[in-house]
Amino acid sequence: MIEVENLTKRYRDLVAVDGLTFQVAKGEVVGLLGPNGAGKSTTMRILTGFLPATSGTARVAGFDVFEEPMEVKRRIGYLPENPPVHPDLTPAEYLRYCAGLKRLPRKRVADEIDRVAQQARVEGVMDRVIGGLSKGYRQRVGLAQALLGDPEVLILDEPTVGLDPLQIREVRELVKSLAGRHTVVLSTHILPEVAMTCQKVLVIHQGRLVDYDTLDGLIQKHLPGRKVTLDDIAFLEEIYAKLVQGPAAAQAALSAGGAA
Amino acid sequence: MRALLAIARKELTVAFATPVAWVLFMVMAFFAAQFFNGGLDAYRFLSLRASQLQSPELLAHLNVTERVLSPLFGSMGVFVILVAPFLSMRLFAEEKRTRTFELLLTAPVRPFEIVLGKYLAALALLLVALLLVALFPLLLSFYSGGLSGGAGVEWQTVGTALLGLFLLGAMALAVGMFVSALTESVIVAALVSLLFLLGLWVVTIFTIGVEGPVRELTGALSASEHLSAFLSGRIEAKDVVYYLSFVALGLYLTDRAVEGHRWG
Repeated sequence: MIEVENLTKRYRDLVAVDGLTFQVAKGEVVGLLGPNGAGKSTTMRILTGFLPATSGTARVAGFDVFEEPMEVKRRIGYLPENPPVHPDLTPAEYLRYCAGLKRLPRKRVADEIDRVAQQARVEGVMDRVIGGLSKGYRQRVGLAQALLGDPEVLILDEPTVGLDPLQIREVRELVKSLAGRHTVVLSTHILPEVAMTCQKVLVIHQGRLVDYDTLDGLIQKHLPGRKVTLDDIAFLEEIYAKLVQGPAAAQAALSAGGAA
Repeated sequence: MRALLAIARKELTVAFATPVAWVLFMVMAFFAAQFFNGGLDAYRFLSLRASQLQSPELLAHLNVTERVLSPLFGSMGVFVILVAPFLSMRLFAEEKRTRTFELLLTAPVRPFEIVLGKYLAALALLLVALLLVALFPLLLSFYSGGLSGGAGVEWQTVGTALLGLFLLGAMALAVGMFVSALTESVIVAALVSLLFLLGLWVVTIFTIGVEGPVRELTGALSASEHLSAFLSGRIEAKDVVYYLSFVALGLYLTDRAVEGHRWG
């Protein structure tokens, strides 16, 4: 569904994304993992057609994001890092606007708005001005916007930022329920989130792909012989530290985790 | 078309949800009322003098359209120039500041639909503001129509004057929208477009007392001189072309500026 090949993005002297290559199959939920500034958001912005790549190609559903942006944009629901909500509108007005932008058939709009409002749990605040809503609600209005029109591909940049623990759980359930019918790429630096929602993990560090595998694959590769269950998240911290910092740091992270 | 209308509708919703639209209408109505009253007072004084002088020729030449309405519309030209930057400043700068521009650029919408949708919403607000100004000739027509010695309201002149003001506003909004597409700051967008438009409005003052091609050049560039024919009831091709070429240029450049974002 998503094919990225040799993707590079340079901002003057800074290389944000460096020769990234990966594929995401239809129906997969992939977690983009990496430290701040690793190039996660940049990769997502290129996939959605917001930013051009310096070189390399990205294809979504077989369409090149730069050559055929309209075809790609029609198939993508995108939640940027900062939820793109208009503070002066109510969620109801905002979602109707987004439905128009996405050219949903007029007679489907009302049902579709009800559906995403329910999925993102914003039904209770539909007639309040977005500027007056809490960060968690704004985030979820942004999420509702991404879900609007039931797009094949969902690109969610840190979807659980600003939510309280219960809301985080709801959003994770939601993402999990999307798997299969939707292809989801989500970024986060909350490791448990990856373990709980994603089938595959793509670790980026300094714009480069360090590893891309299923959770089981990562465990076997980096912690051979260790017995871990997915409830145990310490292992992911260990793998993550190994990948982005080297083995010494991983050891430190492990002993710190053990002490706590 | 669907996306274009959604954008226009959203702009109007925001304009009415914030004070923008209401302040615009208030400013236009308030100043139009002041100029209207002033014009009426002057007219009354003149007609009083004319009847004191027992001069039927002078009375016959007194014309409400010419004496009251044309000055009113002429003065409103400045206010169109003054309010347009405040209508256009948010169009793009605000989207960039609040990061909602990312939504627009990742939606299946072509840049030109975005530009046109926003522009049409701003034009609609301007049109309503001008209709408020048009209430004053209407008011006058109730009292002045058919009185002997003075002609009633000349609707044709009122019509061309309103058309001229509309074209002037359309030009100002197109210029302002382009400036707004270049910056993230609404204040910068408003100030830069205001300075540019005021410059075009008063450009002839730089060549007072000058003859020849320089004077002709400033006259051709002047936004106010191109309004004068409209105010006296004439539609001249050169004036229409002047305003519409600014509109076309503004829309084209804004479209390029939005498209430019896709190229980094």
